[in-house]
Amino acid sequence: MNKKPPPETLVLGIDTGGTYTDGVLLEYNTHQIIAAHKSLTTKRDFSIGIENVIKDIDLEDPSAIQMVSISTTLATNAIAEGKGKRVALFLIGYDPDLINSFDMSKRFATPHYFYIEGGHDLHGQEKTPLDLPDLLEKTKMIKNKVDAIAVSSYFSPRNPEHEIRAQNAIASICDLPIVLGHQLSTLLGSVERATTAALNASLLSMLQEFIIAVRRAMEHRGINAPLMVVRGDGTLMNDEFAARSPVETIHSGPAASAIGGRFLSGEDQALVLDVGGTTTDLALIKDGKVVVSEKGASVSGYQTSVQAANLFSIGLGGDSHINLDRGKEISIGPERVVPLAYLSHQYNNVQDRLKALAKTNWPAPHPRDLEYWFLQQENPEVNSFTAKEQQVVEILKPGPKPAIEVLKSLGLLDASQISFNNLWREEVIGKSGFTPTDILHVDGRHTPWDKEASKAALTVFSHYLNLDEDQFQLLFWENVTEIISKAVIHFLTEREIPAKNDSTHDLANWFLDNSLRPEHEQLTTRIILNIPLIGIGAPAQVMLEAVARVFNTDLVLPAHYQVANAAGAVAGSVMVTEEILIYPHMSKGDAEVLGYYLQSRDNRDEIEELEDALTRAKEIAESNALSAALRSGANIPQVNVEVIQDGMDSYRVKARAVGKPRLGG
Amino acid sequence: MNINKVDTQKAYQLLWEKITSLELAPGEILDFASLADEMGFSKTAIREALNLLVHDHLVEAPPRGLFVSGLQFSDLEKISTIRLNLETLAAQQAVLNATTDDLVILQSLCKEVAGDTREYFELDQRFHQAIAKAAHNNYLADTLQLLYGLSKRLWFLALPYLDFLPTAVKSHIKLVDAIRDGNESLAAEIMKNHIEEFYLKIREIIQEKDLIKE
Repeated sequence: MNKKPPPETLVLGIDTGGTYTDGVLLEYNTHQIIAAHKSLTTKRDFSIGIENVIKDIDLEDPSAIQMVSISTTLATNAIAEGKGKRVALFLIGYDPDLINSFDMSKRFATPHYFYIEGGHDLHGQEKTPLDLPDLLEKTKMIKNKVDAIAVSSYFSPRNPEHEIRAQNAIASICDLPIVLGHQLSTLLGSVERATTAALNASLLSMLQEFIIAVRRAMEHRGINAPLMVVRGDGTLMNDEFAARSPVETIHSGPAASAIGGRFLSGEDQALVLDVGGTTTDLALIKDGKVVVSEKGASVSGYQTSVQAANLFSIGLGGDSHINLDRGKEISIGPERVVPLAYLSHQYNNVQDRLKALAKTNWPAPHPRDLEYWFLQQENPEVNSFTAKEQQVVEILKPGPKPAIEVLKSLGLLDASQISFNNLWREEVIGKSGFTPTDILHVDGRHTPWDKEASKAALTVFSHYLNLDEDQFQLLFWENVTEIISKAVIHFLTEREIPAKNDSTHDLANWFLDNSLRPEHEQLTTRIILNIPLIGIGAPAQVMLEAVARVFNTDLVLPAHYQVANAAGAVAGSVMVTEEILIYPHMSKGDAEVLGYYLQSRDNRDEIEELEDALTRAKEIAESNALSAALRSGANIPQVNVEVIQDGMDSYRVKARAVGKPRLGG
Repeated sequence: MNINKVDTQKAYQLLWEKITSLELAPGEILDFASLADEMGFSKTAIREALNLLVHDHLVEAPPRGLFVSGLQFSDLEKISTIRLNLETLAAQQAVLNATTDDLVILQSLCKEVAGDTREYFELDQRFHQAIAKAAHNNYLADTLQLLYGLSKRLWFLALPYLDFLPTAVKSHIKLVDAIRDGNESLAAEIMKNHIEEFYLKIREIIQEKDLIKE
């Protein structure tokens, strides 16, 4: 019998989320998913999860893979956890008084920032000469205390001369990597540009190491193909671009999910909800594209000028910690813990202890008794830890223990009395608790691990609230639906949802409540979402069915929706945008226009007539975008040029080259 | 991104450092497999890095095997003659072509104080690179970089007996002043003396201590 010929164009998409690393192998032209793979993310080293995917993906001849594409939360997480490298930021021509009066220095993303005389004005004219001796003095002072340098000069997109001169001088006296603001952003917001440059510098080596690790893993399996990385707006860049501009990967993961949802469902207008282990992320698909935020990506309170998908994220996922708040109301998340079902699956004595707890009637055990701590590393390096921290490690060596017991052994009543920051941050110990995943184990909808442990935990929780177990589950799912529904409304209206007891928003609250849970006898209110919901991620079906009912719309769960994020990593196009700024060269005293400057990323021209300047700028932008897209791994890119007026006599000529990624070895 | 290129570049830099600082001795046999093992690179990366070093004249490739280039006494004469002339040329060209930024960079490098020998070498190399850059002739700069590597081995050979490092730095300061003042002949003279003095001392030590067996 003839064997079917192997599919022609295989591509591998990988998504490294905060909890799971997903991989899909798919046929590029038919969108057919051939194999999927899921493994836990190793936060200490993201490349381990990726290596596992590449190692385990079910394929006889991996060298047939024509492209590997990755979305990663590496950058986002590193910023959130303050794990980027140390950066010195030089601010050329910035006004320290202005920055201080608006308390903007906190926004620079590094404590080592220095003001240097220099900078240009709106017309690209030198405002103040560059104080190069001062810059070099400060570089000498700081060079052994930082790992990278970022430079942003005032109005550098109009004239990057001072940034380039600074780079040249710094490179002559030290070997630190240098990032220039104008290379990352053509927007004029000087604080955002400085932040973007500083964040980029802090992430450079991390992303480089990550890409090299992935490349090595590919090499081990004989995969010799382009490696792409997803940007925050869902488009792709090749690994070399990514290694230079790690900030562009901020929000890469959620953007890939949104693209994947659209790719697998074929819906061109939809709201995508990606339910992960840690968070649920919302993104809007309009005319087949992810809607991009106009302000630029913001991450952990830092506003950047990087283009990224307009996203909304809430701390609710399959592994969110279910707890009681002060008012004895059920709270869910934002903390992510290991589900008890999983902990019990890994360790022997947990199930018995939970069952014993469930049988205790008086005094009724408190839900906080369900929180367990466990050692995540077998022999952690404890030298840098405090005595109390080392004690915790000792206590946990024999196996997981309830948090309450650990604290009692330390003579403490509450975890807030002492901080074990090192232990959590270094992932030495982990936390386990009752989660939505456990509830799914109980009702039988998702049971990979120990459902007996989950059952016992549910009993403890329900008893404490004087509910029977079915009532508790009902109440719990109502809460989940309410949280997600309110997030949908907040995201689409860009309006805060008022607090429940806020009497100034009495009617709004009534309207919301009545729409979520019809209560009024005579008045029916309804919120209608006139596009479908696309659900992505393993818990999507369970968590979103009721949400779709609230909004009177359909829930679309595309085939393989559990790994849509990874599919999204290969579904994007390669895109490169090149901008030329045109602005007048003014005579002294701004009396007359002498000509027009054409400022591109690396080059500056002057042309007398505006008409000629525009024509020339369009030509340069088009050819720059085209060649950059080709270098960036696009196949037959199409270029679209747009002229945007940007203030008086000033223009932005924007060329956008888009193409499918070039596949092959 | 080509991993092999990245690794080759890294291996090249590490091997350059090892050979020019005599950690890998002149005449030592170079075995890909053991180097790859020791340094944690693939054999391909090591092979390509060694090929680059062959072009730098730091590694010799006879018909069979590879070894670190030997050091002959005649090398000192050959290298010093050409370096003397080209460094002097660089100083002259720097007088003609240096920008104000180049001067600021040179002045800044002069003011830096080295804490130990390794830092001193780094600083000296940066200074000579900055002069070559101020000359604004990239062919000259590349050639000087090649010679610098060859010369550094002689320097390391004599290093345990050297005591004149600080005065060399003083001549750096005078040189920068001459470049700033646009005094071409003075700059040329200072550079010439600076390099000449260096090789004289090295030659003296090498002969006195019999460091190179003829």
